[in-house]
Amino acid sequence: MKYEDYLIWRMGAGVLATIGLYSVLYKENKLYRFFEHVFLGLASGWTLVALWTETLQASWWDKMIGTATQDGKVVNGSWAYILLLPIGLMGYFVFSKKHNWMSRIPIGIILGLYSGQQIQVWWNTYGPQIAASAKPIFPTTFTSLTVPSKEGLTPEQIAIINGNVYTSQAVTNFLFVFTVLSVLSYFLFSFDVKNKALKFSTTSGRYLLMIGFGAIFGSTVMMRFTLLIDRMYFVFDEFLKQGILRR
Amino acid sequence: MLAQVEVPTFWSEPYNSPALWTKLVVALLIGLAVLVGLMYAPVRARRPIVAVVTFFSGLYWVMLYAWPIPINRQDNQLPNGPVEAVGFWLKDSNSVIVSFTQILTALLFGLGIYSLLRIHLQRIVKTQRDWGFSVVLLACMSLMVFFGYADWNSRLGERGAMLDNPANWGFVNFGRDFLFEGLLQQMDAAMFSVIAFYILSAAYRAFRVRSVEATILLGTALIVILSLMGAVSGLWDDTIRSAANGNTFILNFQLTTIADWIRNTFQTSSLRGISFGVGIGLLAMGLRIWLSLERTGGSA
Amino acid sequence: MDGNKLQSIPKPILYLLLILVTTIPLFADLSVPNKPQDAAIDLYAELMKLEPGSTILIASDWTGSTRGESKGAFRAIMKILMRRGVKVAFYSSADPQAPRVYQDALTELNKEHVAEGGKPYERWSDWVNVGFFPNAEAATNGISQDLKGAFTGRKDFPPGSVPKDVFASPVLEGKEKVEDFKMLLVITASKTSNITVERIYGKTPLAFAVTGVMVPETQVFYQAKQLVGFSGGLKGVLDLETLLETGVNYPDKATAKVKSEKYDTIEGFPGKKNKGQGTKYYPTLHFALAFMILLVVVGNVGMIMSKRQAAAGGAK
Repeated sequence: MKYEDYLIWRMGAGVLATIGLYSVLYKENKLYRFFEHVFLGLASGWTLVALWTETLQASWWDKMIGTATQDGKVVNGSWAYILLLPIGLMGYFVFSKKHNWMSRIPIGIILGLYSGQQIQVWWNTYGPQIAASAKPIFPTTFTSLTVPSKEGLTPEQIAIINGNVYTSQAVTNFLFVFTVLSVLSYFLFSFDVKNKALKFSTTSGRYLLMIGFGAIFGSTVMMRFTLLIDRMYFVFDEFLKQGILRR
Repeated sequence: MLAQVEVPTFWSEPYNSPALWTKLVVALLIGLAVLVGLMYAPVRARRPIVAVVTFFSGLYWVMLYAWPIPINRQDNQLPNGPVEAVGFWLKDSNSVIVSFTQILTALLFGLGIYSLLRIHLQRIVKTQRDWGFSVVLLACMSLMVFFGYADWNSRLGERGAMLDNPANWGFVNFGRDFLFEGLLQQMDAAMFSVIAFYILSAAYRAFRVRSVEATILLGTALIVILSLMGAVSGLWDDTIRSAANGNTFILNFQLTTIADWIRNTFQTSSLRGISFGVGIGLLAMGLRIWLSLERTGGSA
Repeated sequence: MDGNKLQSIPKPILYLLLILVTTIPLFADLSVPNKPQDAAIDLYAELMKLEPGSTILIASDWTGSTRGESKGAFRAIMKILMRRGVKVAFYSSADPQAPRVYQDALTELNKEHVAEGGKPYERWSDWVNVGFFPNAEAATNGISQDLKGAFTGRKDFPPGSVPKDVFASPVLEGKEKVEDFKMLLVITASKTSNITVERIYGKTPLAFAVTGVMVPETQVFYQAKQLVGFSGGLKGVLDLETLLETGVNYPDKATAKVKSEKYDTIEGFPGKKNKGQGTKYYPTLHFALAFMILLVVVGNVGMIMSKRQAAAGGAK
């Protein structure tokens, strides 16, 4: 069979599987259940393959027993890597009624390693963001309400404009800083607050949060529709139009 | 500690040597003995065991962050005092710690597969309802394991790089490609794209201008969506530009400018507020897990 | 008209209409105007700044689940890197499927690259697969602290030879630490973007190609200058494809289709096959989004009508 013919069969199988999975939109049915199980089987099978071929073989087995390459380079094996096997096995005690506490040892190691990184992570992530949130909220010039047009100006003139804070920018910066603080206060003071200023801040925070959520919704919709369009393109254009009808 | 060195040490032995195999077997037996020993650990000792293990695992990264680490260290340089010695040790241990974490996580990944096997094998043995689907699942898993592994194995020889070209493929390579690219990837895409239908239905049924919050949310979503629609924003912006006739204030009413302003002024700042809140929570939770104050973490 | 009816269009009809709306425009040869966003222009500029023969790291953490967006971004980015002869070391820490996915995508891209007259972009000499790391946090921290240690033992296939250590490849020659790479680009559909900023920021320039849903959170990093640029969702893909065709301020500022105050002239690749998923899918996305807006409007009109009808009924 030519590779091009094979591709048609491969796409055909993908189209059939797509239709099978989409059939759930009508109602739960046997065809959907069949492909759902095919999907789970293939995904878990690949996970098994990839964990060995992409990770364990190189990171564990080869380091544990060492390697000898064709060009004569021999790398020693580090026997202590075998100790990870019993530790990993402890995770499987999660299914034992009597000894399931032991599964918390490997999980505790992973969680410990994760939580220990949080201090470093915090400063790396939020340090620059805190700095970027401290914006000038007072104008430095009143020559214009908004930022003037830069068209036809010399680089020096543009640099002067860029170096100033115009009233419109100051207002925008104030809104930015206020939004950060009020949303944060909404999170920190989620209990019933009596202080009027704080109450105003948390209420504003709730409204401003909705702007963030609205933007997230807009982006999410774009993503989900794109994924659907990709499927439709695959079924109708790649397979039907370019694959079947063009032959 | 466990660094690979060519000269045998206590931690490493030559490839395939009797000494290495002996140490491997002894270490495995000791490890299994500890595992069996833990099965008989008294109930009150369990929580401290997990807490100690969790604490020492986290301690490494905390120390790596807090301890002075030598910069511009030369090869074979000896540490200048105990502080630098610890710094050297922390730096040298990094690859081992990272490697150990990868391996342990990979071994725990298998837990999901084991759970899946357990449920479906039970269903087949007991011929429970829909056991036929469990046969399908296990058959697909076996097929993928066979072709996936055989494909990888076929690449290990001298022809490995040549197999990037499908013209050189054999049966197992086609098998892997059919299962992985032909089925798995397409089904993965289909599974995720189904959500588009639900999100449309949810938006139609739930997006109502019932409160101030809902109105703000809907308004922002609408502006973001419209600004992403080049045909709409292009038309709007062209109209504004021709009406502005060079007036910079009116130019601010271009749809893309309004959307950018909302994005840069409110969206980024509100998400940053959320992010700071989440960050503080994560830091607190990280410390609680590390110190076993969180019951979901180091408790037993 | 009954307001309740407007609020309760049956699901099968909605679904069928959505399928039609996302299918029919695909068959029409439509194009829409596009103004690339600053983040995408910055990403393009940074990629075009890379010297031929230099090496970058790419964390390719996408799979078939988001191929509608991520594959388009991957292809557009790789077209730039292939045409400029930039070497890449690939790894993944999000999904065990990811390494196979990017290797298959590279095979496909290389075929197209050679067909349009480019020098073959080959495994080992131009790119290398470092593989999958199951624990993203530890792997990224390892890459940040000791890249050599993190990648040690990983092998790839040189032409005509058995697998060899990735550090023996021309791609990773002389690379000891993450700072030795000109850039770390994360093409992702998961949290690995955040994990990368948290652990690697400040050591090498970071750039992302993320899915649509991740755009708002990525914008936060970009605004704080933690990223040198990013491409977000299908709009980001379209932006990159547009820039591949037009460049920035190219051929000169007066006649350029895409202008930017921030940069001098940055070349495009007119005449090459630059269009991809972004150009193909974006017009159709318009129809889908317009359809959703229409449905939301219909639902709200229905709600208002129902309220009025109920009020009128109550008054009687």
